Amino acid sequence: MIVLRDVEKIYHRGSEELHALRGLDLDVGRGEFISIVGPSGAGKSSLLHILGCLDMPTRGTVQFDQVNVEHMSERQLDAVRRDKIGFVFQQFYLMPGLSVFDNVALPKIFGRQKIHKDRIGALIDLVGLKNRMTHFPNQLSGGEMQRVAIARALANDPEIVLADEPTGNLDSENSEKIFGLLKSLHTKGYTIVMVTHNHDLAKRADRVITIRDGRIP
Amino acid sequence: MVFLRLALANLRRHRTRSLLALFGIATSVAVLFSILSFNRGFEKGLAKELERTGIHFMVVPSGCPHEVASLVLHGSIIPKFLDLSVMDTIRNLDGIAFASPILVAQLPNPHKGRVDLAYGIEMFRVRDIKPHWQIAGSIPDDEDEIILGAEIAEHQGLKTGDTLAYPDINVTFRVAGILKKTGSQDDAFMYIPVKTAQDVFKKPSGATAIGVKVIDPALLTRTTDELSEKVPGIQIVTMNQVMHSISSLAASAKVLSLSIAIIAVIVSAVGVMNAMLMAVFERSQEIGMMRAIGASRTDIFRIILHEGIVLTLGGGFFGIVAAAAGSDLIGLFVRKAMPYAPASGMARFDAGIAAASLLFVALVGVLSGLYPAWKASKITPIEAIRG
Repeated sequence: MIVLRDVEKIYHRGSEELHALRGLDLDVGRGEFISIVGPSGAGKSSLLHILGCLDMPTRGTVQFDQVNVEHMSERQLDAVRRDKIGFVFQQFYLMPGLSVFDNVALPKIFGRQKIHKDRIGALIDLVGLKNRMTHFPNQLSGGEMQRVAIARALANDPEIVLADEPTGNLDSENSEKIFGLLKSLHTKGYTIVMVTHNHDLAKRADRVITIRDGRIP
Repeated sequence: MVFLRLALANLRRHRTRSLLALFGIATSVAVLFSILSFNRGFEKGLAKELERTGIHFMVVPSGCPHEVASLVLHGSIIPKFLDLSVMDTIRNLDGIAFASPILVAQLPNPHKGRVDLAYGIEMFRVRDIKPHWQIAGSIPDDEDEIILGAEIAEHQGLKTGDTLAYPDINVTFRVAGILKKTGSQDDAFMYIPVKTAQDVFKKPSGATAIGVKVIDPALLTRTTDELSEKVPGIQIVTMNQVMHSISSLAASAKVLSLSIAIIAVIVSAVGVMNAMLMAVFERSQEIGMMRAIGASRTDIFRIILHEGIVLTLGGGFFGIVAAAAGSDLIGLFVRKAMPYAPASGMARFDAGIAAASLLFVALVGVLSGLYPAWKASKITPIEAIRG
């Protein structure tokens, strides 16, 4: 589904060049559950951002469903992110002024798609927050907020869910619940790629990719 | 609709900042709305008062047209007099319904520490000159009888039949009638027979002005042209000219006050822009997240623009409501500060002006939101997420 070949990513900080990824190859197959681990600064998040079409490589190629993303216009990239990818972030990034329902429906709104209340309701039910539908983010716990973020990631029925440290801000009990939720999504057929520092959770994925100094050894 | 809800929610998150920006807009729009309303009310009120005079033009000695405007609306003293022989010339013209002399003068009353303004008129012409007047009592028959304006009667506690003495000039008047409140400057005068006025002021054949009504207003220009040719040294002022003269006098004040109001709106719009820019910078991660989950640049642009419009339209609405609620107070202030202000009808709510003000402020909202919205739409998801 996603193919990375010889991908390099260089960031510039003043005159300094930071090599986040150094000639990296990776294939993400449909239906896989991959966890990416590695020390801080190894390039895990950079890799995830490139997989999610949030960022472009400095060199190398990225193919999403056999289409080179470097050749896509901004509008096409918006559409790929919106329709094919679901993102889950460490900080949840829920909209504070919107209810749980509206937060989950947000990708539909941006896609100018009809909002089916039943479908959004089913997603909220799937993450176990049926009775929190009209609540606002400030009325939820950290674990609940992350579950809302997962439901939002599924709103457009994506091909892949990319989770960047989804348990990073949660205690072990909630981390376990969130991981369990991602695992159940995988069994439903979703492709999952998760960046994590938590090795116990990481090793329960189908495939563990360790990244070090921008390379997969 | 969700974009609007998002905009409202975002504004609520920075309550103090939003309220301050809203207050700035509300204040400036209140000023703008008041100025526009009062300009409209001023012109309408003026036209109404001139319509009520019942005459088509005034003949006055040559001089400043503003003095004439003053005379017509305020009864001011003009230190020049017309000789009444002009009256005969006017009456001999074709198409004249009537010509009536007016002598305006001051009656000092040092014992009571004030000066009364007296309007010498032909009492048998009262119904023609002031057709809208309602008089309690009667129109004077005798030379020492007078009509009092409502305010002057109320102020001095006088009723019909009472007497009013001016020992310095050795005159005592009897109040024959009291004018019911007109809401105009007429309420502040006393009206004495013109003959008496001429005697008291020792101008046996003088008049401050001659009010003329023609039979056919369509032929007004012909009549005034003919009169100017026949009598040198006079000035003819039609009621339209009076209105024009006062309006042009007020126009410079209008332009100045309107400019200040518009500048105030622009300054508060800069405040709105600043508040929104700060909010955009603070929310850049959130904006990045929205871009990550599929929001296009246009979506982000629209959300931020909505915030600007909500803020300015909300401020505009509150400003207009506040200005409408406080219009009587503003009217009082304007009347004190502005010459020739009509006594009534200035402080009316005008839906057209309210709609125009809101439209203007919505445009200001769009303009002040453009830059922050553009800035927000430039935020890339990765920049925001990486911080």
